[in-house]
Amino acid sequence: MNKENLELNVAIFFCQQLDPDQDSNRRVIEKELGPGIKFFPLPCSGRIEPLHFLHAFESGADLVYLITCPVKSCRYQQGNVRAGKRIAFAQNLIREIGLDPERLILINIDPPLPKRIDLLTRELLEGAPVKGHSLLSRL
Amino acid sequence: MKIESQLKNVLAAGRFAVTAECGPPKGADPEAVIKKGRILKGYVDSVNVTDNQTGVVRLSSLAACVLLLQEGLDPVLQMVVRDRNRIALQSDLLGASTLGIRNVLCLSGDHQSFGNQTQAIGVFDLDSIQLIQTVRRMRDEGQIIGGEAVSPPPYLFIGAAANPFADPFFYRVIRLAKKVKAGTEFIQTQCIYNLDRFKEWMSQVRDRGLHEKVYILGGITPLKSAKMAEYIKNQVAGMDIPEPLIRRMKSVPAKGQRKEGIKISIETIQALKEMEGVHGVHIMAIEWEEAVPQVVEQAGLMPRPTV
Amino acid sequence: MITAERKPLDEIIAMILPFKKVLVVGCASCVGECAAGGEKEVGLLGSALRMDARMTTKELETREMTLERQCVYEFIDRLTGLIDQYDAVLSLACGAGVQAVAEVFPNIPILPALNTSFLGQTKEAGLWLENCRGCGDCRLHLFADICPVTRCAKQIFNGPCGGSQDGKCEVNPETPCAWHLIVTRLEDRNQLDLLEEVYAPADWSKKEGAGPRKIVREDQQN
Ligand code: SF4
Ligand code: SF4
Repeated sequence: MNKENLELNVAIFFCQQLDPDQDSNRRVIEKELGPGIKFFPLPCSGRIEPLHFLHAFESGADLVYLITCPVKSCRYQQGNVRAGKRIAFAQNLIREIGLDPERLILINIDPPLPKRIDLLTRELLEGAPVKGHSLLSRL
Repeated sequence: MKIESQLKNVLAAGRFAVTAECGPPKGADPEAVIKKGRILKGYVDSVNVTDNQTGVVRLSSLAACVLLLQEGLDPVLQMVVRDRNRIALQSDLLGASTLGIRNVLCLSGDHQSFGNQTQAIGVFDLDSIQLIQTVRRMRDEGQIIGGEAVSPPPYLFIGAAANPFADPFFYRVIRLAKKVKAGTEFIQTQCIYNLDRFKEWMSQVRDRGLHEKVYILGGITPLKSAKMAEYIKNQVAGMDIPEPLIRRMKSVPAKGQRKEGIKISIETIQALKEMEGVHGVHIMAIEWEEAVPQVVEQAGLMPRPTV
Repeated sequence: MITAERKPLDEIIAMILPFKKVLVVGCASCVGECAAGGEKEVGLLGSALRMDARMTTKELETREMTLERQCVYEFIDRLTGLIDQYDAVLSLACGAGVQAVAEVFPNIPILPALNTSFLGQTKEAGLWLENCRGCGDCRLHLFADICPVTRCAKQIFNGPCGGSQDGKCEVNPETPCAWHLIVTRLEDRNQLDLLEEVYAPADWSKKEGAGPRKIVREDQQN
C-alpha cells in the first residue's frame, strides 16, 4: 500500500448497495488504518449533498471519495448521475477557496456487484493520487 | 408654404419611387455624409439615414439628415425606440421638422446587445407601432402623448419597416395592417431575395386592401459576393436568401460577383415593378453607395421625376 | 418567486475581511426555493468561508442560521439578542431581505452574499426562468398569458419585431421569441382578434413610480 497515503485522513462516502456486508467488512480496515479513515455509508449515492464533502474537508480530510454503483445498476436509476453533478459542484466550490479539487474523487464501480468495501478501499488507497496533507489537515 | 417631402410627392404622383440608405460615420465627420449624399444625388428621391444601426455608436441620424438636406437631398430620418424614451423621441420629432426634415421611419432598432455598447440599458419605452401612432397624432391632431397640444405640429411623412420574411408568416401581414392602422403612410421592406415568398406576402397584402392604404417600397440589397450571401443566410436574423441564389453567386468567379449581385438586384426590381401594390424600391447598398446609381440606371429608373 | 445567485466567493471573502465574527443568515423562502440562500447554501458558504479563513490564517468565527423570511419583521426578530454578538451579518437573502434586516438593525453591517436576479418560475429542477418585471399594470390576459414586458427582449406590445425567426428571438437564439409564443397561443385559443389591436404606450409610472413604490392597505394594518 502506498505509504504516504496511509498517513492521510480519508473520508469515503459510498453507496450501501455495493456491499451487503459493508458493516462488518469496513470494520476490518477501520481497525487496521485507525482514525485516519472514515466511512459514510449512503442508502444511495444520489443522496449525497455537496455539504457532506465540505464538512469532511473542514474536519481535516485530505482525500474524499464518493463511490457509486455502476452507472446502469443504480437502484434509484439516476442516483449516480446526480452524484456526479454534485461532485462537480463541490469541486468548483473548493476550487474557489483554493483547495485542490482533485482531492475530491468520484469512483464509478465497474460491474459486477457486490463488491467488498474493505478490498475496494485498499485498491483505492493503492492507486490514490499522491497529494500529501491538505493545508487544512496540517493546521 | 411648407417644403414637401420629395418621397411623398413622387408617390402621390403615382411614380415608382426610389430611396437609398446612408449610414453615418463613426466620427464627427461631415464630409463622409456629404460624400455619400453626392454619390446618390439625382439617382434617388430620398435617402434614409440610419439611427445607430446594429447598436453601434455613430454620428446622429438627425445631424446627418441636416447635412443631406443642405446638399439638396430629401432625407428620411430613421428613429429607433431603443435609445430614447417618449420625451426624447417627441422632442426630436419636433426638432427634425423644424430643421426641414420631412420624412421619418419608425423602427424598433437592433437590440443593444449586438452593438459596441452592450452594457447599455435598452429604453424601449414605446414600440415601433406606438411611435408611428405618436408621430401621426402629433402631426394630424397637434397632440403629444397624453393629449397636450404642440403648435405648430411637426410636418412629417410617416414610414415604417416590414419584414415579410420573419416568422410567423401568417402574422406578418396582420402586423403590417397594425402599422397602417397606427398611421404609417409608407413601408420599406426587408431585403427581398426570396421573390416567391414576397409575392405570397404581397397577395395577402392585396387581399386585405392594404396596398391601397400604404405605399410599399421593396427592399433591395445588392450582394457583393457569394460569401456575403452565405453570411446573411446564416448569421442575420430575419433574412431569407434561397439556396439557388447562393449557388448563382458561387457559379461566378470572385471578380465578377459584384456585377452578378447588381444583376440580381436589377432583375428583382424588374419583377417588383410588375407587381401590383409595389410603389417603389428602397436600395440598401451597405457601404457600397456606388452601386446605387448603377442599379437605378440599369433598372430603367432614370431620370428621377421632378415633381 | 425572487431568484438569486451566490456572488463569487472571492467577492464575499473580500466583503467579510474586516470582520472576525460573522453571522451567516439564510432565507428559506424564495432564495431557498431557487437553491441560492436556503439552509443548505448557508451551510456550504459557512463551511467554505471557515476553510478559507483557516488556509489563509485569518481569524473568523461564524454561526449559521436560516430565517423563514428575511423580508418580514416577525421573522427578522429572531435575530434580536443574537446579532449583537457579531461584527457583521452575511445575508443570503434577496436585496429586499438584506435591506429589511438592516432596517431593523441599522448599526450592524448586513452584507449581501447573493446577487438578486429576477422574478421567475421554477421551470424544472435546476432551471429558473424570468417571467415578470412587476410592471404594476398586468396585461397578461391580452397576450395569451405570456409577458411581453419580460419575455420579449424589446418589451414590444405590438410584436413581434422583424427579427423573429423559427420561433427564436433574434437577440438570443436559445430563447423562444415571446411574440411567437403569443401569436401561436392566441391562434390556438381562437383569439387572433386580440392581435389586430394597436396597444397604446404603456403607463410605466406604475412600474417606475416616483422613486420606490409602496402599497398601503388599511384593512391589513393593526
Ligand atoms: S404584464 Fe407586468 S405584471 Fe404582468 S407579468 Fe408582465 S411585467 Fe408582470
Ligand atoms: S425576436 Fe421576438 S422576443 Fe425577440 S425582440 Fe423580437 S419580438 Fe421580442
